[in-house]
Amino acid sequence: MNTAPLLEATGLSKAYGPTAALSGADFALRAGEVVAVMGPSGSGKSTLLHCLAGIVRPDAGTLAYDGRDITALSDTARSALRRTDFGFVFQFGQLVPELSCVENVALPLRLNGEKRKAAEARALEWLARLEVDDTAAKRPGEISGGQGQRVAVARALVSSPRVIFADEPTGALDSLNGERVMRLLTDASRDTGAAVVLVTHEARVAAWSDREVVVRDGSVRSSEWAA
Amino acid sequence: MNPRIWARDLALGARFAVTGGRSGVLRTLLTAAGVGFGVALLLLASSLPNMLFQREVRESARAPDASHRMIEEPGPGTFLHYTQYSSYRGAALSGLLLKPEGPGAAVPPGTDGVPAAGEMLVSPALGRLLGSPEGALLKERLPYEVVGTIGEPGLIGPNELRYVAHAPFLTTDNYDGRGLRYGWSVPEEPMNAFLLLLVVIAYVVLLLPVLVFIGTAARFGGEQRDRRLAALRLVGADNATTRRVAAGESLAGALLGLVVGAGLFLASRQFAGTVEIWDVNAFPSDVVPHTLLALLVLAVVPVSSVVVTLLALRGVAIEPLGVVRTSTPRRRRLWWRLLILAAGAALLVPAVGGIQVEDTGIDTFTIGAGTVLVLIGLTGLLPWLVEAAVKRLRGGPVSWQLAVRRLQLSSGTAARAVSGIVVAAAGAIALQMLFQAMEHTFTAETGHDTSRAQLQTSLDARDGADARRTIDRLAAVEGVTGVIGTVDSHVYRHGPLKPGEEFRPIAPFSVGDCASLREYAVLPSCADGDVFVVVPPKGATDAPDAPRIRETARPGALVTLRDPAETKGTVPEWRIPATARVVTARPDPVGLHRYGVLATPRAIGAAPLENPRSEVLVRLDPSLPDAPEVVRNAALEIDPTATVRGLSDTEQSSKFLSVRTGILVGSTLTMLLVAASLLVATLEQLRDRKRLLSSLVAFGTRRTTLGCSVLWQTAVPIALGLALAVAGGLGLGSVLLAMTGQRVHDWWVFLPVVGVGAALIAAVTLLSLPLLWRLMRADGLRTE
Repeated sequence: MNTAPLLEATGLSKAYGPTAALSGADFALRAGEVVAVMGPSGSGKSTLLHCLAGIVRPDAGTLAYDGRDITALSDTARSALRRTDFGFVFQFGQLVPELSCVENVALPLRLNGEKRKAAEARALEWLARLEVDDTAAKRPGEISGGQGQRVAVARALVSSPRVIFADEPTGALDSLNGERVMRLLTDASRDTGAAVVLVTHEARVAAWSDREVVVRDGSVRSSEWAA
Repeated sequence: MNPRIWARDLALGARFAVTGGRSGVLRTLLTAAGVGFGVALLLLASSLPNMLFQREVRESARAPDASHRMIEEPGPGTFLHYTQYSSYRGAALSGLLLKPEGPGAAVPPGTDGVPAAGEMLVSPALGRLLGSPEGALLKERLPYEVVGTIGEPGLIGPNELRYVAHAPFLTTDNYDGRGLRYGWSVPEEPMNAFLLLLVVIAYVVLLLPVLVFIGTAARFGGEQRDRRLAALRLVGADNATTRRVAAGESLAGALLGLVVGAGLFLASRQFAGTVEIWDVNAFPSDVVPHTLLALLVLAVVPVSSVVVTLLALRGVAIEPLGVVRTSTPRRRRLWWRLLILAAGAALLVPAVGGIQVEDTGIDTFTIGAGTVLVLIGLTGLLPWLVEAAVKRLRGGPVSWQLAVRRLQLSSGTAARAVSGIVVAAAGAIALQMLFQAMEHTFTAETGHDTSRAQLQTSLDARDGADARRTIDRLAAVEGVTGVIGTVDSHVYRHGPLKPGEEFRPIAPFSVGDCASLREYAVLPSCADGDVFVVVPPKGATDAPDAPRIRETARPGALVTLRDPAETKGTVPEWRIPATARVVTARPDPVGLHRYGVLATPRAIGAAPLENPRSEVLVRLDPSLPDAPEVVRNAALEIDPTATVRGLSDTEQSSKFLSVRTGILVGSTLTMLLVAASLLVATLEQLRDRKRLLSSLVAFGTRRTTLGCSVLWQTAVPIALGLALAVAGGLGLGSVLLAMTGQRVHDWWVFLPVVGVGAALIAAVTLLSLPLLWRLMRADGLRTE
């Protein structure tokens, strides 16, 4: 892939109090590729993901998305970017327990101003695509962990994002469910052309990616992106 | 039930409460603060009876003793006394005038000795007033030199305006009595039914929300506690043990709350003197809780915390891997909630129309129990109403959807927190309605016509001419625009007593100008020299002496101007002119009818009337606010024992206004208490959802969306609660009014209460926002 990176970070640093979580990390993501971010616990993987997604503002370094420096954007503008261009999958799904599954999936669309009926119709399509349409009317507490994570994937994909950030998406699942979620996530992203930043510490999960980077002590130590 | 096991588990829970890390300690402190605030309120409320009783004790302790026997003759230890009641710019003022008759005269309580002639001792509050520019006008009224201060034993409250003066002018003609010592038992003045009803309702309304709050406080931090209990199960504790441990945790908070409450109570009673409602304030030493009520508080608070905790855990299965709430909450039933309301109504409705305002005994228990049941019924109805209402809520923006769904999932928590508001608001509305009716009743009962006169005074005079001069002097006082003045005495039937008569028939006799006489009777025409006879109509309720008056006051009848039995020498006689016209009485500005003989000055001249008095009704210039004080000063200068009575109903109204404000302040404080628990519940819920909030932020949720969601989540249950409170409060108020045969005067009394409720919604939301903003940071997503 020789196209220009969709998301490019250079020299990212971030500290939480005296602890440096990231120290000069470089990273690049091309459109449509799946990149696994690996590393041991506490290495700074999640912080890198949060910085890349514009959730956390880095202390130093630059971060360009589609040619725009997003570190310079206001909090409101970054929130808007996340609503329109990014999707998220977390380890425990983080579905809103009060909302039904279809309402959870429709949430990003509704936050973007889409009408409820239209948003829920699209959400239902995604639930069907991820083989969990039978959970539509149920609340997250009434479905299994694997189903919940697939609903979370549907929620990440429903707004047709250009980048999906997945933080340990299979961390709370057994291997069978984990495999299923990864297959659905990568298939769907490839179908829609969305790039995926996949944070994981499991090699078998990372195997679903196009390439891997390793984060150690806050720096991206090995990477195949330059290749 | 093994007490040892219970004690062990409760102690373990108590240990968790104080050693459960920062959040555990915070939870315990929150519980203690909440319970403490409630306990302090309960202790203050239970001190009220003693506070009022101590005022009576103090009042009777300083009253000159006249109970054991009439002291006819002066002695070395006797004194003459006269208690003067007055007011100054709306504040009550009282003075004890003394004239010792011997060197051993008793010393009034709170003083070191009887002041010398022309001197006085004053209460600290009066001393401050007289020493300030505001007291300049009052200084003119009290022609005594201040030589000392009255101590606490001589006062009924720290803010009382009181003086003890040595008045050499006191005689057996103008005194209250002759005393030998101080302190006598005053029979307790019974409260009328209306006041009793108010007191009962006020107690219930104040105390119920506090109990509700204590119940809510015991549930603070429920989710954290659940996690701790699950961990206990994991290491082998059985279900019963975990419940006892949970109870122990709450118990520790409640016990700490008792200590905090006692501390708050002791601190707040120091300020008892600075609070004054309805001219009543108290010394801190008088603010002592009723022993039985205090013991009840001591017992009820810890027990209720344990019971509430166990009840809260009813629908919860504590498993080693987590706490599972009963997946499908049982549908709330309406029937038993209505049953409580119906039971309350069944107790109250039979009393409708059965209480007269002048009654002094009402069935406190039945009315109190009925009110409690109605208020509890309303509280019980709220969870059902919230559940039924939110179930039907659909659509709306994301913030609304998030809030509504949250409420649909756990409406009980919100309803519980708001239930205190329902009780406080419903009670406040019912109380406001009662007070409004009371204000109307009492103002109407005075019968004063303040458009005709605003002050009334009655002054002793040496003779008719002296009495006339007094009227003229008062008419000339600055700020007086007119007077209705008569010289009053009596006339006696001429001739010997008839068989069976013990007393000579007598009739009131008033001499005044035509303008003044027209204020007492409907006169077809009047000229100086005319005489009128006002005969009480048959069945007149305000003239028990009607037959005697009719017999004495007749046109052409010969009367004596003094009682022949009491008069030595010649008894002055006077014939009521045969031309005297019989006229109809009209209510005077005080609202009374004057019967007997009305004469103009030329008809009788300066005849030697018996013990004449100047009866003066004064019209004031409304643009001079101090005019009443100037008139009081003038009246007391003429007669130091004069009493000047305000006819204006504005004083009464302002008292009611302050009570109404008091109710609103009280209900606001109670609602603040409830809002505090609502806030804590909201904050806890937010903290428990830290990770979820962060993830919502991750996919771009706006702050305003989540802020609005919190607002809706607070507003919906409070709005439903207030709606219920308005309906319930108006209903309860109507029934309570119907008991005393009163009608509702203003159906809009609930508006201020609703306003306070709306302010609470805003306050809880605003105070939740800082934490919400903090939790919306990405830190919540960190797992390491």
